[in-house]
Amino acid sequence: MALIQLNDVSKLYGLGDATTVALEEINLTIEKGEFVAVMGPSGCGKSTLMNLIGLLDQPTHGSYHLSGRSVAKLRTNQRAKVRRDKIGFIFQSFNLLPRLVVIENVALPLAYRGMTQTRRLKRASMLLAQVGLQDREYYLPKQLSGGQAQQVAIARALINNPEIIIADEPTGNLDSASSRVVMELLSEIHQNGNTVLMVTHNPELTRYATRVVYMHDGMIVHDEQKQIGKIPARARKIIFGQHQKTEEDDLAGVSALMKTIPGQDTIKKAVKKRRSRKPAKKHAVASRRGKK
Amino acid sequence: MFKGNVKMAWAAIKSARWRSFLTMLGVIIGVVSVVTIVSLGEGVKRQVAGQINSIGDDIVTVLPGVSSQSTAGGLIGQGIATRGTQSLSDRDYAIVDQTEGAALTVPFSAVSGVPQVESRTYPEATIFGTNQDMAAVLQLKVEYGVFLSEADQNRQVAVIGKSVAEKLFQENVPIGRTLKIRDQDFLVRGVLEETKTSPLSTLPNYNQAILIPYPVAASLAGGNAPINQILTKPRDGVPPEQIRDAISQRLYFAHGKQNDVTILTQEDVLSANSDILSLLTQLITAVAAVSLLVGGIGIMNIMLVAVSERTGEIGIRKAIGATNSQILGQFLVEAVVLSLAGGILGVLLAIALNFVIRILTNLQPAVSLPVILISVGVSVLVGIVFGIAPAVKAARKHPIDALRQLS
Repeated sequence: MALIQLNDVSKLYGLGDATTVALEEINLTIEKGEFVAVMGPSGCGKSTLMNLIGLLDQPTHGSYHLSGRSVAKLRTNQRAKVRRDKIGFIFQSFNLLPRLVVIENVALPLAYRGMTQTRRLKRASMLLAQVGLQDREYYLPKQLSGGQAQQVAIARALINNPEIIIADEPTGNLDSASSRVVMELLSEIHQNGNTVLMVTHNPELTRYATRVVYMHDGMIVHDEQKQIGKIPARARKIIFGQHQKTEEDDLAGVSALMKTIPGQDTIKKAVKKRRSRKPAKKHAVASRRGKK
Repeated sequence: MFKGNVKMAWAAIKSARWRSFLTMLGVIIGVVSVVTIVSLGEGVKRQVAGQINSIGDDIVTVLPGVSSQSTAGGLIGQGIATRGTQSLSDRDYAIVDQTEGAALTVPFSAVSGVPQVESRTYPEATIFGTNQDMAAVLQLKVEYGVFLSEADQNRQVAVIGKSVAEKLFQENVPIGRTLKIRDQDFLVRGVLEETKTSPLSTLPNYNQAILIPYPVAASLAGGNAPINQILTKPRDGVPPEQIRDAISQRLYFAHGKQNDVTILTQEDVLSANSDILSLLTQLITAVAAVSLLVGGIGIMNIMLVAVSERTGEIGIRKAIGATNSQILGQFLVEAVVLSLAGGILGVLLAIALNFVIRILTNLQPAVSLPVILISVGVSVLVGIVFGIAPAVKAARKHPIDALRQLS
C-alpha cells in the first residue's frame, strides 16, 4: 500500500474566465521511505502540490489517499490532527513563532496534542540535541542564524515522529554551509526510514534524493528514480528553464580542443579543476534565485 | 494547554504594552467607577445607619406633610412634603407627648436668625427650639457646662455645638458668655461634645447647632414657632411600631381625619435612605455598564487587529497541527486575559481611590469583597463576549491563506 496516492488531482483557483489551473490531473504515488525531490520553475505548482499532500489545502478534483485512507471526507479538525501526528512541515522562511523560545517552538506540536509541559519540554530538548542545538534551548528565534533556525524547525517537524516530512525549499534562505547541515539532517531523517518530500530549485540538492519529480505548468513532466549521491542531468537543465549548455556540452568543446593542442596533461588538469568548481558556482546562482 | 495559552496571551499583551493598556482603559474606567460608587454607597449607608442607630433604634420621628407616594420609600429627603401641612404645632407636640407608651418627646423648631457675638456672626449655625429631653433622646453629650433643664423653659439660655464655640466665640469653653439672636441675649450654658457627621444624613449637624428652649424660640418667632420635627422615645419594652400607629391614630383625629403627617420608625428612615442610595447606585452602575460596553468594543477591536496582524502565526500553528478550537481558545484566552487585567487594575485603582476619598472627605467608602468579585467576574465576561468574534475569525482562517501572509 502506497503511503501517498494521488489520482487525477487538480487544483483550480479563481472563477469563470479568471480560473487558473495550479495542478492538472496529477497522478503520483509515493512509497514509504522515499526521498522525493520536486523540481520545477516558479509557479509550476510545486508548493500547491506540497500543500495538498500536507493537508493544508484540498484538491478541486481527484482523490488523495494517505496510508490507504481517503482524506476527502476528513473534517477540519481531523485534518489538523493528521497534520499534527503524521506530517512535519519545514518551510523556506523557517516559520518559528518569534515570541516563543526555541524549546517552546519545538514543543508546540506536542502542546496541541495535550501533553504535559514537563514531558514535552523533555522531548523537545532531546530533539534539539539530535539536531545539535541543545545549547540554544532558551534563545529566541531572532537570536539564531538562518541555519540554526532551520535546524530548530526540523526539530519541530520531527517531534511527533511524523510519517512524512514536507520541506518546501528548506535551504532557500540559507548559505551553502548551512544548507549542507540542513540537508545532512534531512538525509539522516530519510535514512532512519522516514519519507521526505522536498521542493527545491537547487539541482545540487537532488543529490540526496532517491527520486526526482519535475513539474511544469501544473503537470508532472518527468519522474525518475535515482541513486543517492548522483545529480541527474535533467535536474541541471530544468532549473534554468531554457536550453543552456550543460557541463557535458562544455566538456565536449574542451575535448575537441584537446585533440588539436599538445601538452594534454595540463589541459586535463584544467578540466578537472573546472569540473569541481562549476557545481559550486551554479549552487550560488540557485540559492540567490531561491531567495526571490 | 490552558496554562500555555494564558502564558502566551500574557506575552502577547506585554509585547504591545501601550496598545494593551489603552485597550484596557475602557474596562479599567468601568470597573473603577462601579467599585467606587458601590463602595461609596455602601459606606454612606453604613455611616447613616451607624449614626441613626447611635441615637437609639427605637426613636419615632413625626414629620409634617406626606409625600405624594404614601410609603416612606418614595421619600427623597424628608421634610419635602408634597401634600399636607407644612409644619406641626405645639398642640401636635402635646398629642404626641401624651400618647401612651411615649416616654420622652422632643420638639424641633428651627428658628431663622444669625447668631452674633460682638461683631462676629456665624450664618452656618442652625438655631433649634427644643426641650431638656433632647440630650437623652439623641444621646448627645455635653462636654462643658450643662444641658437645658426643665427650669430653663422661659430663660434665654443656649447650648451650643463645638463649631459654634470655635467660630463664634473663638474659644473652647465660652460658658457664661452671651450671644445675640435677633437682638436678644442668650447665655451659653453648655458646649456639646463633637459629633460625627455623615453625608446624606437627615440628622442636623449638631456641631453647628444652637439649642434654646422651645417656649423662648416661640416668643422669638412671635408667639408661635412652627415645629419641623417631633421625636419621641418609647418606654422600655414598647415597640416603636406600636407608638407610630398610636400617634398616627391620634393625629388623624386631631387633624380632622386627615392623614397629613409622616411618622417613621428608625427602620423606616433607614429604608428610605437605602432606597435613595440604591437608586443612585443603579444609575451610576448603568453609566459604568456603558463604560464596560465601550471597553469591550475596544477589546474586540484590538483583538481583530491582533488576529489580522498574526495571521501568519495562525498559519504556522495550523500547519503544525492546531485545531480550529485550539486557535479559538488561544485568542479567546488572550481577550479574557486583557479584559481581566483591566478589571484587576481597575479594582486596585478603586481601592487606592477609596483611600484618597477617605483622606480628603468625610465619606468612608467600604470596598466589599462581593463587589470586587463581581467586577472581576464581569470583566472576564466582557472578555469572553467581545473576544469570541475575533477568536472565531482567527479559528476560521484558511491555513494556506494564513501562511501566505508570511512570505
